[in-house]
Parts: sequence; C-alpha cells; structure tokens
Amino acid sequence: MKKLVLPLLILGLQAGCRQGPKETGTPAIALVMKTLNNPFFMEMQQGAEEAAKTRQVQVIVQAAEREVDVEKQMQIIENLIQRRVAAICLTPAGSREVVPAILKANRAGIPVLIVDSGVDSVALAEAGGHVATFIGSDNFDGGRIAGQMIVDKLGGKGNVAILEGVPGHETGDSRLRGFHAAIDRAPGIHVVASQPANFERDQGYSVFQNILQSHPEVQAVFGCNDMMALGAIEAIAAAGRSGDILVVGFDAIADAREAIQAGRMAASIAQNPHEMGRLAVENALRALRGETLPARIPVPIELVR
Amino acid sequence: MHLSPLVSHYGRQFGILLVLILLSLLLWGLSPHFMTLSNWLNIAQQTALNAIIAAGMTFVIISAGIDLSVGSILALAGVVMAGSLKAGAPVPLALLIGLAAGFACGCVNGLLIARGKLPAFIATLGMMSVARGGALIFTDGRPISGFSPGFRAIANGEFLAVPMPVWVMGVVYLAAHLLLNRTRLGRYTYAIGGNEEAALLSGVHVQRYKTLVYAFSGLMSGLAAIVLTARLNSAQPIAGMSYELDAIAATVIGGTSLTGGEGHIIGTLIGAFIMGVLRNGLNLLGVSSFVQQTVIGAVIIIAVLLDMAIKKRRI
Repeated sequence: MKKLVLPLLILGLQAGCRQGPKETGTPAIALVMKTLNNPFFMEMQQGAEEAAKTRQVQVIVQAAEREVDVEKQMQIIENLIQRRVAAICLTPAGSREVVPAILKANRAGIPVLIVDSGVDSVALAEAGGHVATFIGSDNFDGGRIAGQMIVDKLGGKGNVAILEGVPGHETGDSRLRGFHAAIDRAPGIHVVASQPANFERDQGYSVFQNILQSHPEVQAVFGCNDMMALGAIEAIAAAGRSGDILVVGFDAIADAREAIQAGRMAASIAQNPHEMGRLAVENALRALRGETLPARIPVPIELVR
Repeated sequence: MHLSPLVSHYGRQFGILLVLILLSLLLWGLSPHFMTLSNWLNIAQQTALNAIIAAGMTFVIISAGIDLSVGSILALAGVVMAGSLKAGAPVPLALLIGLAAGFACGCVNGLLIARGKLPAFIATLGMMSVARGGALIFTDGRPISGFSPGFRAIANGEFLAVPMPVWVMGVVYLAAHLLLNRTRLGRYTYAIGGNEEAALLSGVHVQRYKTLVYAFSGLMSGLAAIVLTARLNSAQPIAGMSYELDAIAATVIGGTSLTGGEGHIIGTLIGAFIMGVLRNGLNLLGVSSFVQQTVIGAVIIIAVLLDMAIKKRRI
C-alpha cells in the first residue's frame, strides 16, 4: 500500500501542473481572484490571459476555494511573494482583512493593483500600505443609473423594494448608495422594503416572497446583483404576478440577459470583467516599466434593457 | 533490545513523516522557490492555524468523538475578543476573554455529550450553528477590525527570526504531547476512545474527562481565533468556515483512527504540515485551486487506506 502513495502523489501533481503554467525564468504577473467558479471572474481571467498572450508575459491565476476565505487568499499572496512574481493584481475577498497581505507585498517590493472590489483606503493608509491603482466599475454610478431608470419607468411615483447584498460588503453598499442617490431625488418614490438577501438567488426568492406578502403594493424591485433579482422574478411568478412588477438587477449575467430578452426582467447593469482583466495586465506592465498609474482606472458600465 | 514494540509504536509516524519528506523533495525538484528558509517559515506560519485547531481535534478523535464546531467557535471567540478590545480592554484581558469564550463553548459541547448522552456529531453540529449565529448576532454581520500594533504582533511579530504563530504552534504541540502522554487526562482519553465501558468499569470518571477533552478543543479554537484575528487585523463572524474539515483531515492523515483509542499528536502536526506543504507547493507551481482540492482530498484517502492496511497487518 505504501508503495502506492508516492506514484499517486506524483501523478496528481503532474496532472495539476499540466493545467497550470510551468514555472519558468520569465517574470510573471499574478491575478488573485475571489473565486474561480463564478462567470464574472472566469471572464476576468479570460481577459487577463488574452492580454498576457498578446504582450507575451506569463499570468498566474489563483483563488481561494471559498469566496469569503480571506485567510486562504492571504496564504496565496504570501506564496506568490515567495514565488517572486513581478506584480500582483488582486480582487480582495475582504476590504480590510486583505491589508496585511498588501503590506507584505509592499515590503517585498511587488506592486499591487486592486481590481473589481476596493480596499478600505483608511485601513490601508493607517497601516502605511499602498497600492498602484484601483481598476473597477463605478458601482455607485451603476446603482444611480438603475435608480434613475426605475424613476423614469414609474413616472416619478411609486413603491419600490430593494434586495441588498451581504451587509458591509463594499460593492453592494456602493450600488445601494448610488440607487438611493437617484430615487431620493424623486419625492413620489417610496421605499417600502430594503432587506439583505446576501447576493444569493434562493435568498432573493424567499426575501422577496415575504416582501410581496407584507407589501403587495410594490411596483418595482432593485436587486444589488442579478442573482437576487432572478430569485425575485421567480417569487413574482410563483405569486402569479408576472409582468406586474419592474425588476432591475446588476451584473447582466447570461441568465439575466435571457430574462430581459424574454421580458421577465426590465434591465440590468453590465460590468465588463473581460476588460477589467485586460486592464489589470496592461497596467501591471505599465507599473513594472516604472510609470505612475492614476489612483482610479474606471471600467465602463452600461445599462442593458 | 525491545526495539520492535518501539518501531511499531512509532512506525505509523515514520511512514507519514516519509510521505512529508518525499513530497518536499518532489516539490524541491519542481520549483526553485520551494526549498528556501523563508518559504519554510512561510509554510510553518500558514500551517500554524490549522495545526493548533487540529491539536484539540486529535484529543477529541482519540476519545472516539468528533468536533464539527471548531470553526464556528473560532469565529465567536474572535469577535468576542475583538469586541472587548474595541471596548477598551487591555490586550492580556482580551486574550483571556477570547480563550474563555472558546473554552466555554467547548465545555457546553462536552457536557451535552458526556452528561446529555448526545452523539458528538449532533451536539457539535448544533454548536456549529449556534456559535456561528452567535458571532453574526454579536457583530450584526460586520467584521470588527483595526487593532493596536501590540495585538497584531501576535501574528506579525518575530522571535529569533521565527514568526510568532510558529512559536505558538510549537508550545501547543509540546503541551499537547505532554498532556497526552504524561498525564491522567491523556491516558483516560485513550481509554475512553478504546473502550468507554471498560474505562468506566475500571473507575475512570468518564463524564469529567470527556467534557475536558471537548473543552480543550474549544480552548484551541479560542487560541486559533487570537492568531487569525491578529493576522488579518480583523475578526470576521464568517471566519473559520470549513476549518473543521481541515483539522479532521490533518488528524486523520497523521494516523489518528476515527474509531478512537489510537493516534499520536506528532502525527497530527506532520499531517497539518503535509496539507500546508501541498497548498504552498501547488501555489508556487501556479496550479488552480480546483486541482489543489482534488490533490488534498486524494492524499486524505490514501493516508487512511495506508492506516487501515497497516492495522490489518498488525492483527
């Protein structure tokens, strides 16, 4: 039995290595993401890999097994520092928890580019850390666009519900603030309910089912991501009120685009993760050439309806 | 003279140590960044957290139990300690509060199992949910972050060029080794795991020692909470999810039998290092996390197969 262990291990490792890039002498750019099993991040990975191919550099893509596992993300960053990557592009799994990892990269002289989700700038400044730039969508502006669309569709008057993301999550919070910035200016719009459904489809379903019970007068719902909005659409269908309620989501994932085409969903806000990945690699190369990057590099967003 | 019992006693650990050495040699050949002092300190630091929790888990599993609540207790102890730091408690007091929170949760587990006669699986499954919910209620779902440099030094500081978490791990394993091999608690843990009824009949206060075993596991979760909170400079109510699986894996790879009565603390340490080395090596090689999970899972299965094969031969 013991004789089996090593060959099996070697086999496993070799299988693994075929999937990942071989370690070579060329400098590598690392892209550390929140997760690898979300279409959004898969597109980001594709954008980064295509850019790396054109520029003839190596890109190493890594993510923790669980999206919220900041400690594993920190381990990955520590290991990449040992591996002496040239630059790290990072989508933080926790806006404050990631700061000690950024400090370690700073100390090793490896530039860090933040992608998609922001880092808590106060916590970073207090710790004395710095990042090269932030590359991401303007979530606040996306929320504002979604809010304005609902205001226009309802003619400036009506009852609106909101499905919030994970409490304290920077991305969801900015979308929420942007949405409020738009609807708070319309005195005829009332928010009848605003509850977290943690970015998840099943929770979007059950939370909106409850909202439908307590506030049947609701005319529109904004989901801080598409998963929750899609859950709401199913709850609306289950209540036999399809077509009655305006649903607006965020991210424009494939399922949402389909629902928009079928007329079950009013609109969604499209981010461009492919472009994010491309910009991450391009700007990492700029940083390595010694250029100073702007503090924010916006990635265009658009309304899909 | 009496070499053969010694070899059979430690043979299992030599086997698992051999796996670790061969794995390291293999990774040395694959990556030029692996076999450096700074990378080994890095691995040790990353292994510390799982190893500390697994030390408690080893006692529990030797007693023929299981503790599914370690990750949730870690989260609860972490946020309670962070809350008291934020409320102005001096660092030593906050550390004691964190440890006490872990110990208390472990005591509840132990009492439910030893006196309430609940299966360990059920009791700790319940605690897993209760402690997680408690951590979320305590923090309203938001992380508590930003602590004094003195507190953060627990994870970021170094002593003799070795990171503090590695020292903590070393002290834990020295203490756990002595507890398990030199004290009544250790002897009775083996006895209860081997045959609870026989232990009871021979006068062991089974209830007391069973409770102590789970309390020790909770205490280790509290200690891990301190290290994790200092490391991230933040206590998250969602921290430690699926940590119980890593701790059980390290224990089982290390040769502790899930049926109880058998196992060694040093085996667990080696088991934790095998997992840490695998993760680190696969990161250095740029292997995706999907493959990492597969490889780690395969290692667990192979380790247990090996364990069973050796036991069969002994009989």
